[in-house]
Amino acid sequence: MKLYDWINERIDLDSAVKFATKKQVPVFYGTVWYYLGGVSLFLFIVQVFTGILLILYYQPGATTAFESVKFIVSKVSFGWLIREIHSWSANLFILFIFLHMFTVYFAKAYRKPREITWYSGFILLLLAMFFGFSGYLLPWNELAFFATKVGSDIAGAVPIVGDFLLKLLRSGDEVSGATLTRFYGIHVAVLPLVFTLLLGLHLMFVQLQGMSVPPEQENLPHDKRKYMPFFPNFATRDLLLWLIVLNVIALLAVFFPWELGQKADALASAPAGIKPEWYFMFMFQTLKLIPAHVWFMEGELFGIMMFAIAGLIWFLVPFLDKKANHGKKSLFWKFVGIFAIVFIVGMTIWGYSV
Amino acid sequence: MKHLIQLLFYICLSVSWVITAPSDDSDGCIACHQIIDEDRDDDEKIMTHIMEDVHFQKGLSCSDCHGGNPNAGDDEDEAMWDADDFVGAVDKKDQPRFCGKCHSDPEYMRQYSAHLKTDQESQYWSSHHGQKLSENDEHVAVCTDCHGVHGIYPIKDPRSLVYHMNVPTTCKRCHSDKDIMANSGLPTDQFDKYKSSVHGTALFDKKDIGAPACNDCHGNHGAMPPTILSISDICGTCHANNAELFKGSHLREIFIKENIKLCEGCHNYHDIQKPTDESLDWSENETCSHCHPNDQDKAKNLSNALFNIIDSLNIKIEEANETVDLAENKGMEVSELFFSLEDAHKNLIQTRTSIHSFNEEFVRKTSEDGYKAADAAIIGAEQALTEFGFRKKGLIVFSLILTFFVIVLYLKIKSMENK
Repeated sequence: MKLYDWINERIDLDSAVKFATKKQVPVFYGTVWYYLGGVSLFLFIVQVFTGILLILYYQPGATTAFESVKFIVSKVSFGWLIREIHSWSANLFILFIFLHMFTVYFAKAYRKPREITWYSGFILLLLAMFFGFSGYLLPWNELAFFATKVGSDIAGAVPIVGDFLLKLLRSGDEVSGATLTRFYGIHVAVLPLVFTLLLGLHLMFVQLQGMSVPPEQENLPHDKRKYMPFFPNFATRDLLLWLIVLNVIALLAVFFPWELGQKADALASAPAGIKPEWYFMFMFQTLKLIPAHVWFMEGELFGIMMFAIAGLIWFLVPFLDKKANHGKKSLFWKFVGIFAIVFIVGMTIWGYSV
Repeated sequence: MKHLIQLLFYICLSVSWVITAPSDDSDGCIACHQIIDEDRDDDEKIMTHIMEDVHFQKGLSCSDCHGGNPNAGDDEDEAMWDADDFVGAVDKKDQPRFCGKCHSDPEYMRQYSAHLKTDQESQYWSSHHGQKLSENDEHVAVCTDCHGVHGIYPIKDPRSLVYHMNVPTTCKRCHSDKDIMANSGLPTDQFDKYKSSVHGTALFDKKDIGAPACNDCHGNHGAMPPTILSISDICGTCHANNAELFKGSHLREIFIKENIKLCEGCHNYHDIQKPTDESLDWSENETCSHCHPNDQDKAKNLSNALFNIIDSLNIKIEEANETVDLAENKGMEVSELFFSLEDAHKNLIQTRTSIHSFNEEFVRKTSEDGYKAADAAIIGAEQALTEFGFRKKGLIVFSLILTFFVIVLYLKIKSMENK
């Protein structure tokens, strides 16, 4: 306790402990959804640790990237494990952020006064997807190369700024070693910095405002609402779930390793049936289904604009859903959410089945 | 007013020049013969492809080959018969010399390409076709039979009758025709045999223009059937190692002595089939026993020994493939082992080739590197599988530890909530 006292005298640990023990977590049918944010946070921590270990051996560059990843998985002690955990954890990270977002959406946790938490969470999702997109290229294999080519092509179709975006992403006209270096910089420096700052804000908002409950729970009389202490009850449950998730990742890493494939070759033709990462699949499949021309514009441009508008509406839902702000049910926004899930799941399954 | 009349005059002159200006197809010969063609059946027309003809494309006109006066207009006599240098339809026996006027002249041909050969005519006269023609036997091919008449294309043009893919069909036009070949003493089934052969299948089915056509073995203008000694040189052009090994084998002298053609003695000709390893298996194949009815034991032993070497290497490589596949399917990084597998496969091909030495020791020695490469792949794959086993065990230990902590935490939660 001497160490605690030593620190406490300097930075007032007592207040933090008091805050943690006083913090209450609502107990109701939806308490289980609160864990999704915690799991996402845990997976981010796993990403940071495994990512740092990978940096020790990874060498960006068109002539070294693939070879260094091969070296990591075949020669470095437990290198394969670190890479597999990083890859699986990355995918689960985005999956859990999606799940977290939808539970927050249906619980209407975005309503006043938590609008900024929603906005920051939505941006964190976009950043996580960009994390995935930039990291996917780093092994510099055939699939990654062409997926990046297709992905950046889509960015290039954005009106007015498309050409600028394309060149900004690729560091030139084509996907090349320069693109790889750029993606590496973004993946290991820019995104972690921005993501960590925004995540800090996001968590700070959650701590300051406490856990949100759905309107019908909020309207219950005070004596009928149940709570559990955040520390140690909820935190211990969080830890239990984290351990299970860690075990699942280890299981996936051993039995379902990510194939390294063939080294990227800019002169080779694209492999048949090339597909993006699963979290981009619904957009990719939709763009494929849109006709070449819609009304007066190109089909691809039309699709991108539709996704941009849909994304903006989703982002602004705290502002648009007036009823939720007044603690009322809003069926329309509930159906919007159900449609979004059906659309994303449906298009993803369709994309993988063709 | 004067200037206006002058201007009108020049405009009329220009318009009349444009209307009456000679074009490429306004050559007097072409103009008349196209009209004549209109009354002919399709197979008798001579001008159908004249515009695409390589000579026409290079700027030559009818009179450059046939003489005459292309500017004589409608006057047939002036255009053809009165001209001293006019040559009409060329007699078959004169055909090689007719083409050779230009094609045997290096000075003349150089203006079109420095790479064009000028020995076609002299080669032709040395060929069977040429020899027969010089004996006034006109049942032979001359230039136009193979290259066409007024629709001659460069040999690299797929429309050409002598484009590599078209050569067998062009030769077939005469060599599969029983009437034309009646007095030649030659069979007429070469094309059918070739078509079903390993070479024919490669050329026609796989569209592999590297596969040999008739001219690759029999020559182009100097077409001759290969002799006993020349056959291995011809086959050896592509199958260099096989030919070289056979040259050094004890069988070569025996083949020559027994008047057996070197390669075709075992592989046949025209209908050459893809050789299989089973060809060496005495019980499955009669290739060797066909010539070894009296000393079967010696030949049989050698044949079976060679078969066993190749078969064992095959089995070893198959085992290596399966082990590497197994390790790869478990998700192990085994890409480097594919180099060993590739080496083993290359060696299998070398070992198959080495049987042309008919020397068991040499074949066995050749196969050794294949075994080494296959063994290296197997060892590497087994190490990967062991590593996979280690990972599984590690996962079990890790899971047990985590499960222990999960249970402890669960009990802790329960005890906290019961208080």
